[in-house]
Amino acid sequence: MRYKLTHRTKYNYQGSVNTYHSVVCLQPRQLESQICRNFALQILPTPAEVVSRIDFFGNTVHYFSIDVSHKELVVVAESDVESFAKPPLDESKSMTYQNAKNHIWQTRSVKVELLQYLLTSPFISWDEAITQFAQRFFLPDLPLYSCVKALCQAIFNEFKFDSNFTTVHTPLQTVLKERRGVCQDFSHLAIASLRSMGIPARYVSGYLETLPPPGKKKLQGSDASHAWVSAFIPPFGWCEFDPTNDIIPQERHIVTAYGRDYSDIAPLKGIIFSSGKHTLSVAVDVIPKGG
Amino acid sequence: MLIYHLLLPFVFNKLILNYPNLMLTDTQTSLLQSYKRDINSYDEVIGTDGLVKPHWQKLFDSLQKLGLKELDFRNQEIINRLRENGVTYNVYESTDGLNHPWQLDPIPFLIEEKEWQQISTGLKQRVQVLDLIFRDIYGPQRLVRDGILPPELIFDNTGFLRPCFDVKLPSENQLLLYGADLARGPDGRMWLMDNRTQAPSGSGYALENRRIMSKLLPELTDGMFVERLFPFFNTFHQRVVSIAPHTKENPNVVYLTPGSNNETYFEHAYLASYLGYTLAQGDDLVVRNGYVWLKSLEGLEKIDVIIRRVDDEWSDPLELREDSRLGVPGLLHSIRSGKVAVINPPGVSVLENSALLAFMQSCSKYFLQQDLLMPSIATWWCGQKKELTFVLENLPRLIVKKANRKQKMRSVYGRTLSKEELEKLRQEISKAPHEYVAQEEVSLSTTPSLVNGKIEPRLASLRAFMVSNGNDYYMMQGGLTRSSAEKDRYVISNQYGGISKDTWIVSDTVPVASGRMLSTVRNTSPSHNTLPSRSAENLFWAGRYGERAMSLTKFLRIVISAINENVDFRGSFKLEYIDILLKSTTHLTLTYPGFTDEKNEQIRENPYIELGNLVKNTQKLGTVASNVQSFLNSVLAVSDRWNQDTRRVLTLLENSLKKTNSLDIHNHNTVQKLLDKLHGRFFTFFGTLSETMPRDHAYHLFEAGKLVERILAKISVLRSCFSFKNDENTENELMEAVLTNHYLLVHYRHLYKSSFNLETMLDMVLLDEKLPYSLAHQLDTLSRCLAQLPKVAPNQRLNLAEKAVLDASTQLRLSDLNKLTTCSSSKAYRKELEQLLSRISSLVSSVTISLTDTYFAHTVIQSVLVEKSENDTTHEV
Repeated sequence: MRYKLTHRTKYNYQGSVNTYHSVVCLQPRQLESQICRNFALQILPTPAEVVSRIDFFGNTVHYFSIDVSHKELVVVAESDVESFAKPPLDESKSMTYQNAKNHIWQTRSVKVELLQYLLTSPFISWDEAITQFAQRFFLPDLPLYSCVKALCQAIFNEFKFDSNFTTVHTPLQTVLKERRGVCQDFSHLAIASLRSMGIPARYVSGYLETLPPPGKKKLQGSDASHAWVSAFIPPFGWCEFDPTNDIIPQERHIVTAYGRDYSDIAPLKGIIFSSGKHTLSVAVDVIPKGG
Repeated sequence: MLIYHLLLPFVFNKLILNYPNLMLTDTQTSLLQSYKRDINSYDEVIGTDGLVKPHWQKLFDSLQKLGLKELDFRNQEIINRLRENGVTYNVYESTDGLNHPWQLDPIPFLIEEKEWQQISTGLKQRVQVLDLIFRDIYGPQRLVRDGILPPELIFDNTGFLRPCFDVKLPSENQLLLYGADLARGPDGRMWLMDNRTQAPSGSGYALENRRIMSKLLPELTDGMFVERLFPFFNTFHQRVVSIAPHTKENPNVVYLTPGSNNETYFEHAYLASYLGYTLAQGDDLVVRNGYVWLKSLEGLEKIDVIIRRVDDEWSDPLELREDSRLGVPGLLHSIRSGKVAVINPPGVSVLENSALLAFMQSCSKYFLQQDLLMPSIATWWCGQKKELTFVLENLPRLIVKKANRKQKMRSVYGRTLSKEELEKLRQEISKAPHEYVAQEEVSLSTTPSLVNGKIEPRLASLRAFMVSNGNDYYMMQGGLTRSSAEKDRYVISNQYGGISKDTWIVSDTVPVASGRMLSTVRNTSPSHNTLPSRSAENLFWAGRYGERAMSLTKFLRIVISAINENVDFRGSFKLEYIDILLKSTTHLTLTYPGFTDEKNEQIRENPYIELGNLVKNTQKLGTVASNVQSFLNSVLAVSDRWNQDTRRVLTLLENSLKKTNSLDIHNHNTVQKLLDKLHGRFFTFFGTLSETMPRDHAYHLFEAGKLVERILAKISVLRSCFSFKNDENTENELMEAVLTNHYLLVHYRHLYKSSFNLETMLDMVLLDEKLPYSLAHQLDTLSRCLAQLPKVAPNQRLNLAEKAVLDASTQLRLSDLNKLTTCSSSKAYRKELEQLLSRISSLVSSVTISLTDTYFAHTVIQSVLVEKSENDTTHEV
């Protein structure tokens, strides 16, 4: 599939802002299953400089700063991405949970590569409750791949999608207790569960092409940035799962960044100097090209 | 005694000649002998051969010559000098209410030069290995790939900051400053106990210790040569110049401090001023076009190098801790772009992990193919099976800490734990072994210290400092020694008490003069004296609060005297003029309702209570105490600006503030005395500044603040006293009070004898330019001060503040004294006077706002914006 992605973020400030520094993480990655053919960042007011770099996790991030007084900031990221279906995996070829865990923790070179996805990170920690929640899916002799699938399925079935319940800072414990949240919470919960079981897991940020309800036309700006998880499953390597929708990410999932959790790869992060409040609106479109 | 005679017959002879009473030492015990008797562990003074080390012998000779009494006296001098110089390691408003002055033992810590060379070689190797580890961790990570370092030491280390992996300085070495904590082990060698890599503190205190010792105890160096400290700072400065991105002879350097609440703030201000760098806080700096700029009075100024005393995580809220208000947003970007250099570069906190000590030997082998030259305290990281087993089995004789310094846990001494506690600790370690480190309990040597007038052995440790010098490192020829306050107990940290010592690297030959010795740290070309906006604002407010406190003490003295003079006559408080003066006090301090509450009989019955509160109450705005406190806070925030004499006066003012806390407000005699003292001290402060302060922007801002406040204060009293006409007696008394308030009573009497006349008085108080406290004089001086401040726009003639003052001054001069003193037709209201004074008052008030808008505009709040990813996929699939 080929997509035209538009991610439009608009900030309105009550008072005028003179200095603004930002790091955005919006450029789709180049992967085996995905080619980013074009990426453009439009920012208004025009920034004093825009500089891109590759971060620690291999994602492309852009730093920009604005030093003219403004009350409205618009950041539009447009990309042209081609994505491919992933070859199907034979679940039964996955190592069992027990073997995978041993392999990961006992092979030094593997452990060195993966350790940061096994430990706590700024948004991910686990307690008894999370470990207990996770335990029932991880049976020693079951293929690890099936365990992770079961975990994500359970999150999909037992949790309610509720975009008004959580904020960026809602602790995982609350999400687990109240059984509601958004894709970011569900992904964090899945990651915490995996790590509590000794399995490396990372956070994937990106987009998902949504389909309109049957018979209706797709609305503009109705898509959103999305998040899902990636677990390390020998011998396959990193495998992706979408616990929010209980699907295995395919062509319709476009990856922008990998990190330990949300804090590593927030789509847009900025520091303003202002005394007033601000409002934010985001519109995302994932438009398939040429039908 | 035998050694004594052999080594220093000359000194001994001199002793006999000058101090015949010391002949007694032959029969009595010498200081050294008596000290030796107190030693109960291995001691610095005694060599491995069991004999007294020659350099300590010499020091004891000098001490003997000086005598204990004199030593104790000099010690008192040291305490006074440290207080006067404002040497502290925390701040005025510490939570425990204590102001911890720096403590310096008059007996230095001696290390023989040859031994120091060995230590230096050992530490150089250590810092080289640390630098290589640092570069590897934020680079190829070969150490973990090749199994030299366990990966937990990187990835489970809160000091490992991923955004810093591509933040590099334009030099081979990345670790430019390094501090090492050392102590002597039972084998007589110096052992390394800990590494300081982020922003090692203490070098400034070491320098101040040396300055004080060489002033107050110069004779202790008799017969020895002591290495100097300044080459270290020279080398440091050269390093700073060499690292500056825009090749310049005279780079712009800021010393970045977290602010005056930091416990070592004294040192930040001290070193900034010694090295000639600008002291700045995070929000004094801004990143634009990739460069770091200092917001100064003259606009933005490009910065080349930042010496950082703000911890790694706090240094850039954009990419590191987003809740940090101490850093500079975009700083990492600026370093990456090579447009600014930061010493040490953010990310070094990864090295401040105790577990690393366990792997230094293998890292040294790996990088340098060398064994470590200097031993370090035995350390076991519990993340390895063998080590964990060892630690769990030997817990009672080990110290346990968390590997990450950030995880606050006091070191636990195994031997102090009960069986149950040991078991609990074992369980905790077993739960997350990789988080724990165990170390051998530290063994320290004792060293002579002056304790309650006696020389006693105390446990001591030493911090050494290194600075990168090309591809090599240079070690400070000295250091910061700290000795335990208590006997036989190792409690050495500023937080828990401890005494510092000057540290002498001694030899009996003249040290080889190096080329560096001749150059001084400061450049020959005048260093650019930039005034950061924040400092500018603090200076202005220091002037305002200082004058506010002084005006108030002056006026309170007048009021209290007036009451006291009439105290014999019963009911005399009902005198009209005293009532007016009391109300004026409330107006002046803006502490309503106070005396203006007509229904409050009590407050008038015994005005001392309210007046006492106006002196003492620190919690209430407008009081003397709160103004002095605010004054000291502002002054402290710019403490790099004050010379020694000024610091001394500040210490006196601080003492006065302490006295107000314990003031008995019912004893109006002591209240009066305290006010007198405060007033005098403020006068000294202002006088010292006006005699010594360079006439730069800092001075003019301070003066402007002072004058604005003075004008407002004097006008406030004038309005309270004369806006309404009173009977002649009352007005006469009020005129006397106001003339006193303007320091003009004597002058007035001299000219007009004892007859008071409002018109003549107002002419003097308002219009006579020759009188320093007249309004006309104050306004003129203020306008001259404002004219000296930098213009913001080119071609700008008068700015808003100057225009306001010119307006006020013109209105004053155009006023007609006769009209001013006349009352409006029916009421006893002096409309013209009131309106004129009120207009001038608001014009002068507007100066503060104009200056704030023009020069101090940095107070906008920093906030973080994040975007949450959110997928409303209810209609999905």
